[in-house]
Amino acid sequence: MSTKTIRQGLRFLRLGSIYCFLIAWSFVVIAPLFWLITTSFKDKLDVYLGPKFIPWLDFRPTSKWWVRIFTIEKDTLLKPYANSLIIGSISALCSTLLGLAASYALTRFCFKFFFMKNDDIIFWFVSQRIMPPIIIVFAIYSMYQTLGLLDNHLGLILVYTAFNLPLSVWILSNFLSQLPRSIEEAALVDGAGPLTILFHIVIPMLSPSLTATFLLCFVFAWNDFLFALILTFSRAQTMPILIAAQHFQRGPQWWDISALSVLAVLPPVIITIALQKYFIKGLIPIGK
Amino acid sequence: MLTPGVLIVLLFSIFPLFFTLMLMFGQVIFSEGKMLIKFAGLANWQRLLQDQRFWNAVLVTLKIVVIAVTAEYVLGLILASLLYQRPFGSGFFRVLYVIPMLLTPIAVGYTWRMILDVGRGPIAGLLKRAGLSPVGWLTDPHVALYSIVLIDVWQWTPFMFLLLYAGLEAIPKDYLEAAEVDGASGWKKFIYVIMPLLAPSSIAAFLLRTIECFKIVDIIYITTGGGPGQATESLTLFGYNVGFRTFDLAYGATIAFSLFFMVLIAAMFFTILTRSLRGIRLE
Repeated sequence: MSTKTIRQGLRFLRLGSIYCFLIAWSFVVIAPLFWLITTSFKDKLDVYLGPKFIPWLDFRPTSKWWVRIFTIEKDTLLKPYANSLIIGSISALCSTLLGLAASYALTRFCFKFFFMKNDDIIFWFVSQRIMPPIIIVFAIYSMYQTLGLLDNHLGLILVYTAFNLPLSVWILSNFLSQLPRSIEEAALVDGAGPLTILFHIVIPMLSPSLTATFLLCFVFAWNDFLFALILTFSRAQTMPILIAAQHFQRGPQWWDISALSVLAVLPPVIITIALQKYFIKGLIPIGK
Repeated sequence: MLTPGVLIVLLFSIFPLFFTLMLMFGQVIFSEGKMLIKFAGLANWQRLLQDQRFWNAVLVTLKIVVIAVTAEYVLGLILASLLYQRPFGSGFFRVLYVIPMLLTPIAVGYTWRMILDVGRGPIAGLLKRAGLSPVGWLTDPHVALYSIVLIDVWQWTPFMFLLLYAGLEAIPKDYLEAAEVDGASGWKKFIYVIMPLLAPSSIAAFLLRTIECFKIVDIIYITTGGGPGQATESLTLFGYNVGFRTFDLAYGATIAFSLFFMVLIAAMFFTILTRSLRGIRLE
């Protein structure tokens, strides 16, 4: 054998092993989701009589649980869904706007609170994320009890807005500090005020990262469990709480809970695919 | 423009922090529907340090953090460096690999609960067909903790992958070309050129993931509920159980604070590591 064929063989081997690993991990990612989706189409017996793997071959898919969710149980099941959507989107909008205002101020003007300068204030915002939610939940519970905000949409919106603000400030301040200053300076020379510059120059240039920030804040609010568990009971119940409650009240009714879980997982999956072009370049700025 | 952001953080993070601090040194008494806090000194801390259940929760949390974060780093690094070589279809794999990270943890926990079920789960079914005895993935006290780690790794490896991939992309191409000109092989290039340049992103990824992993609660709540016994009860779950199941708010606050200290120490460790690394580079 000549060295050329050996080299080619090695290249094939290398490429082959790369693909083996990539496909194996793809299987690891997909298999649980496959199981979740197929279970929501299984009849009771197909669940109880041990694992059935392939639809049409091992079991006959049925859509009756899905039909039931959208007809008979519409009110009890879809209200938390609406709650999650409303609370998630309003709080994400608030954290994005507050984050934009704060990071614009912090990257364009000079501040000084005692010993804290701009970078320290940004760090102060971001470092709020270190705090475990369990530590603030006791106080918020007592505070909401006095204010009557327990089991209230507004209550959750406020908590999530505060909770996602560090993330929003982190992403947006990084982008704002990278934007070329020359365009803004040119506008300033032409006599535009800071607000005109913000609305007509900065926001249009920043719109991709604003969208990304909004969607990410939405997903975090959508996925939260601990705050919703403690601060809501029925009226403002969100999707994760509904799933957990169904699970503990009805026992192993896997088909129902699977269908609900698919519904709960749907928005994040759609957002992941929508966000894919921001993922690598930009959404997560490394270092500083 | 800064004021609304600062106000909301003060109201929802700093004020609650001080409130919890106050609870920690007190005792909550409910009288005539009102909540009163009586000063109790260090009683809560004394109780905490002697509580077997607390030390168990510390150990459980630390085990999960150390094993899960390390595994996530290794897997994330492998995936990132494989996709960095741009094999055909890498765009597709990249999106697919990110998906688990953004899924609702409750749905993830529930899905894995079905998969790991002893009687009706697919893994149990396959083991049975292979003639092996079933494993109580979530019911055996020796195994349950590792099942939790497995679920956490499934969900959060994407995060490590994403950060490390971004770190790899940020490495200037001429460094790698220079190494190639000097005759470095693929492995040597990886160990002597890429890994040192990747150190800042590695530390950042470790830091962020460690902070988040310390707070683990939802997956445990759904899959094992902290059991069997207290084999998988993390600190957040312990704090929740004490604070909102038995309504001992003061003791719950003490538990929460001990978690906060641990996270703070971990965060400081990684920050100092970054600083010292920067120092080395400047020399």
